[in-house]
Amino acid sequence: MNQRAEKLCEMEQAVELIQDGMRIGLGGFVLYQKPMAFVQELIRKEKKELTLVGSAHALDADMLIGAGVLAKIETSYVGLEKFGLARNFRREMEAGRLKTIYYPELMALDRFRANREGLDFWPVNSLGGNDVLNKNSEIIKFDCPISGRPLWAVPAANIDVGIIHAHAADKYGNVQIQERHTLPQSTNTTIAFACKTLIVTAEKIIETSEIRENPHLTVIPAYKTTCVVHVPHGSHPTPTISKTRMDDEFITKYVDASKTKETFNEFLDKYIYRTNNFNEYLNLVGQNQLESIKEG
Amino acid sequence: MKCSIEELLIVDLAHTIKDGELGFTGLATGSAATIYISSIPLAAMELAKRTHAPNLTILLCGWLFNPDWSKLERLPESEYDNQMMELSCESQMIEYPCNWSHKAGDISFGFGSGVQVDKEGNINSTCIGEIDLPKVQLVGPIFLPEHMAHFGREYIMMPQHERRNFVEKVDHISGVGFPGGREGRKKLGLSGGGPAYIYTPKCIFSFKEDGTIYVKSIHPGISKEDVIRSTGFDIGDLEDVPLTKVPTSEELRILREEVDPKGILLNSAK
Repeated sequence: MNQRAEKLCEMEQAVELIQDGMRIGLGGFVLYQKPMAFVQELIRKEKKELTLVGSAHALDADMLIGAGVLAKIETSYVGLEKFGLARNFRREMEAGRLKTIYYPELMALDRFRANREGLDFWPVNSLGGNDVLNKNSEIIKFDCPISGRPLWAVPAANIDVGIIHAHAADKYGNVQIQERHTLPQSTNTTIAFACKTLIVTAEKIIETSEIRENPHLTVIPAYKTTCVVHVPHGSHPTPTISKTRMDDEFITKYVDASKTKETFNEFLDKYIYRTNNFNEYLNLVGQNQLESIKEG
Repeated sequence: MKCSIEELLIVDLAHTIKDGELGFTGLATGSAATIYISSIPLAAMELAKRTHAPNLTILLCGWLFNPDWSKLERLPESEYDNQMMELSCESQMIEYPCNWSHKAGDISFGFGSGVQVDKEGNINSTCIGEIDLPKVQLVGPIFLPEHMAHFGREYIMMPQHERRNFVEKVDHISGVGFPGGREGRKKLGLSGGGPAYIYTPKCIFSFKEDGTIYVKSIHPGISKEDVIRSTGFDIGDLEDVPLTKVPTSEELRILREEVDPKGILLNSAK
């Protein structure tokens, strides 16, 4: 009873925190350090009617959309950068099977700041005349109480659960950021402070003594963390700086597979539905391929 | 000295940049639009820096200040590519809110693009058709709403100049131009200047004081009829429109020998 709680768990337990219809936020940014192992598990467990809330999305959203997990996405961008358009996203939107609510890229992060501040909205001065505003009844215009100029209340992100992939954490839930980092890494912190339930997947589990040696890197202290799952390569095929590079070859395979619904279903069957877990998926990707994208 | 259309645009654009400004550009690779969205803006800023604007600050991808391209052999492929992490620069953004503040007016100018632009200077990168059941789904508004609201001015870079791109009214206003002219922008509470120029392979558009669009110059070798035919809204008879000014041989020398000696910028999409 008087032992400090350990928060390490298996992926299967972590994913049970997600119920159909929830609003979720995923750490990372576009194609960088995305919690892809968890994304896969949402598909494997056939979660439904989720809303994905974020700033700019790529494979994470496209894969969930192609597998029918999402009913709605709130974002500024769904695309695959140098790999082109996100084909599942495009197909489902053009068929009327998915709802997208647009929020501009950095304003989308302001929505998480609102939650962090305990507020219901974030005020912005950016939206006059834009169809992002005209087509979204949840954004409310008001006059600045000081100057009287027009402002808009953008609703907080209000996610039920946040999921991030970190490069290191300890068994109590202290989460560290890489010494060298930028937006895709700090977005993990943005998500963490905007939710009450935080699932962390981590490349490596380190001793708390090691955490204590570099406490300035612990951007998420243990009290914020709900559970930690140890998942090496957990952002594959997106990179985790200091551990892995982007797997261009695998993403190209993904892009080819997503050309039609049929070929994408075959892809899902092979890599997700017919594998029992992320490790079996990694075996299909192949040890040589994983070695080739190792960093450091 | 003979020059390419890209060089013509780079030098013209460089002339519009003032000393002491802060210019923002993204990095789009792997598409035909790369030259217009990334290479021309970067080359123009580097040229301005080496001529009349030594105090220009270049903000690349929103996270690297004053990058030094000279050690690179190729353009990085992605905005947060590991290679970008190693690109020599003076400051890196490590989180949001960051080391620049668009909403408070820090950005003097930026570059945007879309599949449609209209006569009010609105641009669309979101969808063709209805938002809930689009005929063609595109990537979304990304950062354009913020560009067009807050930056001092926006350069709209259009790699294609055809009637389907230059339309009477865009299907989705992802970035706001001049609805109701400059007065209209004020009423909408938009703090930035909005679109200032549109660069295309055929001509350069600009906007009058009241926000009306006009053709500022036509590139040598392109006919007035071609520009009129390729533009889906009325731009007049173009009788008095001058030719886009050809760069001097010194400007071309700096561009070719100092700005981009390895062809990293200008050969990236070839």
